[in-house]
Amino acid sequence: MVTPPQPIEDWFASNRWTPFEFQRETWRAYLEGRSGLVHAPTGMGKTLAVWLGPLAEELAHGSRAGSGGLRVLWITPLRALANDTLRNLRAAVDGLNIQWRVELRHGDTASSVRLRQRQKPPEALITTPESLSVLLSYPGASELFRNLRCAIVDEWHELLSTKRGVQTELALAHLRTLSAPQTMRTWGLSATLGNTEQAMRVLLGDSHPRRGHAHPSPLAQSEAVLIRGDAPKEIVVETILPDDIERFPWSGHIGLRLLDRVIAAVERARTTLIFTNVRSAAEIWFQAILKARPDLIGQVALHHGSLDRDIRQQVEQLLRDGRVKCVVCTSSLDLGVDFSPVDQVLQIGSPKGIARMMQRAGRSGHQPGAKSTVIGVPTMALEMIEFAAAREAAGAAPSSPSGKGRESVQVESRDPVDRPLDVLVQHMVTLASGDGFVADQLKDEVRMTHAFAHLSDREWQWCVDFVERGGTALTAYPQYSRILRDEASDRYAVSSKAIERMHRMSIGTITSDSAMKVAFANGSTLGTIEEGFISRLRPGDRFVFAGRVLELLRTHNMTAFVRPAKQTSGLITRWGGAKAPLSTLLSDAIRRKFDEARRGVFDSIEMQLVRPLLDVQARWSRIPAPDETLIEATRTREGHHLYVFSFEGRLVNEGLCALVAHRVTQREPRSVQVTGNDYGFELQTPKHLHVDEELLREILSTDRLVEDLLACVNTSALAQRQFREVARIAGLLFPGFPGQPKSVRQLQASSSLFYEVFTQFDPGNLLLDQARREVLDRELEVARMRRTLERIERSRLVIVHTEHLTPLSFPLWAESLRTQSVTSESWSARVHRMVVELEAAASAEVGETRIHHGDHGDARKSTRGSKARNRKRVAGTSRIKHG
Amino acid sequence: MLGQLLLCVSLRDLRGESSCKDADVLTIEWMNQQWGLLAEKALSWPAQRAAIVADVHFGKSAAFRARGVPVPEATTSQDLARLTHIVQQTRCERLIVLGDLLHARDGRGDATMRAVRLWRDLHPSLHILLVRGNHDHDAGDPPADWRIECVDEPHSSGGVWLRHAHQHSGDALTPAHPHRESRCVIAGHVHPCVHVHDSEGGPSARVPCFVFSQRSILLPAFGSFTGTHPVRPRAGDRVFAVAHNEVSEIATVAV
Repeated sequence: MVTPPQPIEDWFASNRWTPFEFQRETWRAYLEGRSGLVHAPTGMGKTLAVWLGPLAEELAHGSRAGSGGLRVLWITPLRALANDTLRNLRAAVDGLNIQWRVELRHGDTASSVRLRQRQKPPEALITTPESLSVLLSYPGASELFRNLRCAIVDEWHELLSTKRGVQTELALAHLRTLSAPQTMRTWGLSATLGNTEQAMRVLLGDSHPRRGHAHPSPLAQSEAVLIRGDAPKEIVVETILPDDIERFPWSGHIGLRLLDRVIAAVERARTTLIFTNVRSAAEIWFQAILKARPDLIGQVALHHGSLDRDIRQQVEQLLRDGRVKCVVCTSSLDLGVDFSPVDQVLQIGSPKGIARMMQRAGRSGHQPGAKSTVIGVPTMALEMIEFAAAREAAGAAPSSPSGKGRESVQVESRDPVDRPLDVLVQHMVTLASGDGFVADQLKDEVRMTHAFAHLSDREWQWCVDFVERGGTALTAYPQYSRILRDEASDRYAVSSKAIERMHRMSIGTITSDSAMKVAFANGSTLGTIEEGFISRLRPGDRFVFAGRVLELLRTHNMTAFVRPAKQTSGLITRWGGAKAPLSTLLSDAIRRKFDEARRGVFDSIEMQLVRPLLDVQARWSRIPAPDETLIEATRTREGHHLYVFSFEGRLVNEGLCALVAHRVTQREPRSVQVTGNDYGFELQTPKHLHVDEELLREILSTDRLVEDLLACVNTSALAQRQFREVARIAGLLFPGFPGQPKSVRQLQASSSLFYEVFTQFDPGNLLLDQARREVLDRELEVARMRRTLERIERSRLVIVHTEHLTPLSFPLWAESLRTQSVTSESWSARVHRMVVELEAAASAEVGETRIHHGDHGDARKSTRGSKARNRKRVAGTSRIKHG
Repeated sequence: MLGQLLLCVSLRDLRGESSCKDADVLTIEWMNQQWGLLAEKALSWPAQRAAIVADVHFGKSAAFRARGVPVPEATTSQDLARLTHIVQQTRCERLIVLGDLLHARDGRGDATMRAVRLWRDLHPSLHILLVRGNHDHDAGDPPADWRIECVDEPHSSGGVWLRHAHQHSGDALTPAHPHRESRCVIAGHVHPCVHVHDSEGGPSARVPCFVFSQRSILLPAFGSFTGTHPVRPRAGDRVFAVAHNEVSEIATVAV
């Protein structure tokens, strides 16, 4: 048993801290040469648990001769966290009198600093996965990492189910090769997950050393250790509830009706975080609070991912110093060090997941004896059920007597990514830019990662061919090569300096939608907005962003120039990103609550309040039992509506939309519109649809599930959209930036062009295959969809023909913005119905076309006075077939 | 977010070889002449025994490959096969290219240049006229053995102005164009497409198009590996969408 060196005990004592048992356990494991994962809620001392291991080793053994240079690599997903981490790590190093330099390295680090870090590396380096890849892309990486003792990955649960996580896996596998024969330890810090064990295995790599690979992974050498940090404080889930349910909306997602109560709560506490689920909601609530209480200006701040980094850092500092009363934020404040002044957390709208809710609750109550509380603010009636369900599933207080204890609480899993070839291809070019690689050796190394453990020889060879000559066919891509093999050394290296430079600029897996900077005329920036949003605005239009009402002056390159508007309102900025769907755990809990209501059990204040609504549902339709699937059918002016309630979350339901729309339109030519939300989906069609059990069993069958999904997905915008991410990571697309050199501008092409060209001329391209796979797995959650359909297959279908829209169907009907249209009619059959909108303004020159985006010249204010008839008859055309 | 899902029953047959059924040609009358709109994205001008295309961009895939981005060369052979099809279908004596015949200097790869030269030899008596576009100024004129007559814009022919990029008469007068355009202008450069909406609520689409205005004709981009830019027609314009191997007029509606 190895005890921590005395200096560590002394340092703790001098700060009047006592080490937690799990910290001692972690230091012990590290000093025994083991790797592992420490999991616990945010804070709770994980950083010191893992950092003091290498420091203890340094104190015990000192610097071995010839083992200078980089010893510890600390990988963090967020640049924003890095400063806090730097502070904490340095404090320990200074407190223990260790002569180590601890430095930061990421995209914002000055290039002179970065150069020096490569030439004279510090003993400890804090960096991001992208910057680590950049380090590997320079020659000399093998020298740089030769004496690496330990790699630590912070917030691993955030990286785990993303391509950034795979990028990290690949980099770590390479570091293990570089640092051998010195055995490198790998440690991870993570929140608790449903699959924490698997998370550790993914981080540490394959446990079975491959034949021919001399350096087995950490798991094989000695047992890896999974260490659980201290249990969190008790969690309390409260809700702000309307006085009566009668006029509380059945639908709507922003719902400011409880604004006064929210403001009252903010006033009662010292510092409050108000979490919203999407950025536009954060903007809306920020505006609403200040409009209702202008006296709070300067005491309320806004924080989300599209705001400029400087603005975010200012807000974070205000939080740290306790100089702000309330911050309205998104998941942007989910990660990182706690802000100790925060003593209250509000959650607008359902958190959609247990882990997320518990994590946010944990941001409050740092005072001794305080509990972690989250106060839910429902934005529509049914969300009250979600809060009650989430509380029960989290084992939180106040709970009914039968509530389960905290030990049995389940949290969501995060599933690792399987074989993303785009990341592998990028990694190959990264290594080729640096010290180069030998194909067979790299193949073995890559197969040591969880992501590529099952990489086939064919897939591997395709990737090499892709970067070496474009594809497997020898003549398809003449005069193309990104990497070249040297005959003598058998090593692959990048084929030109220009390619090396372009590659380094585009390392990474984060694909942002084309984002425009928002800046004042003097150049100071506020943040970014999606191009799609700006393109619908004209100069003079007003919109709300970064908490201000702005007027658009003009757009130039990728920047929208604005000035503060005189008016106090404008269009709220919207982003296209998806909201997180309801997790399986939470949807199970919600269905349990519905079942309780059906049996007359209303055991919490939220359920009692929502009871009248559920009574309406029971009267007009039905509350489904656990072994039933509720289907409602109704008619409105728009046509025939079919509602299927699976309760399985938005992604699955939107996937079911695609599937059902396809199947319904295959039975006979018709057009349908489909909409999904967390509870179910709606199908709407103008032509009569006979709804009976036979139809439903057919369209909800698990038979041919994948084939039918592929049929919808293959020619769909969904696969093209996913392909965009794949194309970007694999190096087909380059992110544009203001002031980019002409050489980059000339390489701009849309991903849909690549998609078309590959589909036509290179259908065996595995990137296409990957995009389709990812659509099925990640966008449509096909595994979860299959389980849902299986559950529905086993259930009793209850079909209710309703006269009105019900509390369950109304929210779906109201979601008209998110409707998808599908048709099985041919283009020829539909084209006569197609219309194109005219340019809005009246101009002196009749009949000239203008490019939509560039046209600012005409008077936007011209009215639509004399409306043209809606359909212009097409005259004077004839079709002649040339024979 | 799933956005819009477009389910097409008929997959496009885009192989270079002519399919057994000829593509539709839509014939319309404009400015007192007959014009044929081909689904291969070409304009037939029977009165001049000419066929017109714009924005060919030969060598674009090669330019990308030279920079380390893999784009298949097969786009070139497909485009050449389409040109053959156009020549046969219109029985033209002249092929007019309204600019951007070549994409870039480093797109003049061996494979591309060889392929076009071979194609040229298949049509020895065809006269080819190139009205230079912005990409041509960068890429340089085609090789002499392609026997292409190169002129600058605007080029007068058959009573119309042939241009690469149409200068709107509403713009400020520039030194190069001291006179208002009083004749019809045929141009490309824009790579036009339109957003079309199903008036009965089916899926919408973005399709390349021809646009006929009072005094101009705007052609879709011919080249396979080219992008498109959305345009909005004005009152009085006629819009013809090219999709699924057919050309169809699209009704215009006021917003």
